[in-house]
Amino acid sequence: MVKRFEVCKETAWCPGCGNFGIVRALATALDGLGLKPSEVLFVSGIGQAGKLPHYIRGNVLNTLHGRTLPTATGAKLANGDLTVIAVGGDGDGYAEGGNHFLHAIRRNVNITYIVHDNQVFGLTKGQASPRSDRGMITGTTPLGVYNEPFNPLATAITLNASFVARSYAGDQEHLARTIQAAIRHQGFALVDVLQPCVTFNKINTYQYFRERVYDLDQEEGYDRTDRQAAWARSWEWGDRIPIGIFYQVQRPTLDDHYGDILARPLVKQELDKGVVEELLEEFRIG
Amino acid sequence: MQTLNIRIGGQAGQGLVSVGTILLRAAVQEGWHLFAHQDYESRIRGGHNFFQLRLADRPVATWEDELDILVALDETTITRELGELKGDGVVIYDPDVLGDAAKDLVQKPNCIGLPFARIAEELGQPKIMANAVAAGAVWALLSEDITMLQETLALMFADKGEAVVAGNKKVAAAGFARVRETMGQRPRPPKPAQPGPRLVLRGNDALPLGALAAGVKFMSAYPMTPSTGVTEFIAERGRQAKVIMEQAEDEIAAINMAIGASFAGVRAMTATSGGGFALMTEALSLAGSAEIPVVVINAMRPGPSTGLPTRTEQGDLRYAVAMSFGDFPRAVLSPGDVEEAFYLMAHAFNLAEEYQMPVVVLSDQHLADSYTTVPPFDLSRIEIRRGKVVAGEQAGSDYLRYRFTEDGISPRLYPGFGEGLVVAAGDEHGEDGHLIEDAQMRRRMMEKRMAKQRLVEEQALAPVLCGAEDPELMLIGFGSTKGAIAEAVEILNSRGTKAQGVHLPQVFPLPKGLGELLKKPAQKLIVEGNYTGQLEELIASRFAWKPDGSIRRYDGRPLNAKYILDRLPGGECRG
Repeated sequence: MVKRFEVCKETAWCPGCGNFGIVRALATALDGLGLKPSEVLFVSGIGQAGKLPHYIRGNVLNTLHGRTLPTATGAKLANGDLTVIAVGGDGDGYAEGGNHFLHAIRRNVNITYIVHDNQVFGLTKGQASPRSDRGMITGTTPLGVYNEPFNPLATAITLNASFVARSYAGDQEHLARTIQAAIRHQGFALVDVLQPCVTFNKINTYQYFRERVYDLDQEEGYDRTDRQAAWARSWEWGDRIPIGIFYQVQRPTLDDHYGDILARPLVKQELDKGVVEELLEEFRIG
Repeated sequence: MQTLNIRIGGQAGQGLVSVGTILLRAAVQEGWHLFAHQDYESRIRGGHNFFQLRLADRPVATWEDELDILVALDETTITRELGELKGDGVVIYDPDVLGDAAKDLVQKPNCIGLPFARIAEELGQPKIMANAVAAGAVWALLSEDITMLQETLALMFADKGEAVVAGNKKVAAAGFARVRETMGQRPRPPKPAQPGPRLVLRGNDALPLGALAAGVKFMSAYPMTPSTGVTEFIAERGRQAKVIMEQAEDEIAAINMAIGASFAGVRAMTATSGGGFALMTEALSLAGSAEIPVVVINAMRPGPSTGLPTRTEQGDLRYAVAMSFGDFPRAVLSPGDVEEAFYLMAHAFNLAEEYQMPVVVLSDQHLADSYTTVPPFDLSRIEIRRGKVVAGEQAGSDYLRYRFTEDGISPRLYPGFGEGLVVAAGDEHGEDGHLIEDAQMRRRMMEKRMAKQRLVEEQALAPVLCGAEDPELMLIGFGSTKGAIAEAVEILNSRGTKAQGVHLPQVFPLPKGLGELLKKPAQKLIVEGNYTGQLEELIASRFAWKPDGSIRRYDGRPLNAKYILDRLPGGECRG
């Protein structure tokens, strides 16, 4: 396999960071799909995860904290020929960008969304995230986290997201395979990645996940089109934590909805002044 | 100039806009020039709103206080607005909706009671045709001949079928006949000899038309009065022009989607008002840093906060110019009428793309909702300049998004259009778009971006002047005060005061030529629709200059010539 998406050696991440596993798996997945870096657009926000696009080859739009999804949506609608991959952390996507997360699912725009879910704020040095376990003591939560952890998978399944998956940064092969399935999927594809933060999260460590994760994809009889079953599994978070594709259905994408407008990508369409003349006629009198 | 002012007053939902629109279309068809503005409350039913038309024998761009014809669909129109009628003005009211207080007020000549809905029903038509009865009644005061009104009704209701057209024509004729019987012959307002072809449209039509003429391909927006008309226009008419208008979950998403689309290579915009603009400001800073073109319409309404949602003000000027945090190049345009709105909107896209920066177009409720007759727009005047763009082979695999160039403008490559990779970031970056911390690179990048600001300033749109060239009095304004200032200047000159109007279609960066104008030995007043004198502050800080006085309005209502004249030094009231 030609390695077109080779990963940059110099990064600003801590040694041992789960992000390394994610960026390598992402490169493997893209190479495996036979894509060229110029055909791929990575959109990211701010946070340690937001730096990922700078460490892999491709087009990049590194935008604001939390605004990854609307930006990626606009880019995809403008040029449907691009494979658009949105990347962000759990703070970026589930806190600052929470509203956009809900609505990107509703839109079912044809992009892949990879969330580095380390259950903590890394870039700002260890504060609680919406995914932090209750009781976790951090710089901003000296009494321990009180808020109920956000459940991105349950939320996505509730909103009838068309592709909902979870993978684990410590399992390269599983992660690359899941990302490939997400990119192949027509519609909004969520891949929430369990990502140990070796510096700030002493609870959800490599060992913690190694002891708990099991692969839904390997489970006989699991029907990923069964929404109720997927929803039930999305609440399993204890001695056993499922990874794999929880839920997948086909429904029309936002690109399909715009049908004939997007028969050619917007960016490849020429302005038709005749149409503007026609529109002006509507306001003409005399 | 001879003008005639008609106001249709009533509750929201009563159909006053329908009556106004029928009359507006018929009057333009008949040959008049006109200006029509709308005054409405932030509610869907009830309250008190009006639609006001000013007919003239030449182009007009502002409104007048004194009314010639008052049409009352509700009681409030009589109790509150009768005082605005000229001595010989005519009132047409619906007696079925008046209480006792109002009944006494209309016991005088020139007040005609017409039960609009009842007349429609008596003719076997639905109540809703009361609107056509009222329009027919007013038309009897404007023209000898009902033909043009009926043709207008036929056009407006064509898609509802022949029966609806016939019904409307019939009831309009009844309204027309009743007023003719009562009033007999009245002097008709003069019409232009050869009106020629005209467009009649609002700012909220002209702005999106300008955007479409400029080749906008993507819009995302969250509804907010008074900008929503732009959004709905692009959503509806844009389908013909193959433009996507995506309704966003909030204004933050709206502008970030537009930025994403623009980065991918299409012309993209959003539209909002003050509160929504506030939510967009972080992304404007991103557009500045990442050098991504984007055009934002801010249709101003009175703040602070939600303020007066359906009324007008120019109170966001300072905020639009400041725009966001950090230093980055930008431009703020301020069209003064529908014609300027059309051409400046197209200009905004050129500026945004040539300098790869955010451009804000300031509109306001008065411009957004007011209809004006203007000469047909000339599409050949719209030149599309997309700035420095490379594609395909030209880009090469060593493409650098932020390559240093002499003028600070790095050629754009649309991602996917060449082997080169396009890397853009809001974080400080090197020429390749990847993140840097280095002090020297930071300084060079900042200087590269800000070099563009100087170029934008050199090309800033010149002030638009009217009136005397050697004035003793100058009235300076921006945006929708243009027509009011021009008319005040005309009246002053006719009264022997040499006055000049200075309209600024671009408020940031201000054109250097304004500095020269300010050196003229005239008394200079700044006229603007806000409390603190935001234009005054902007000009004063740019040119180290103080005006001789100011005229400001901040009651949520639009300025007009009388408002200005009354507040001139020596005028009826001091501003």
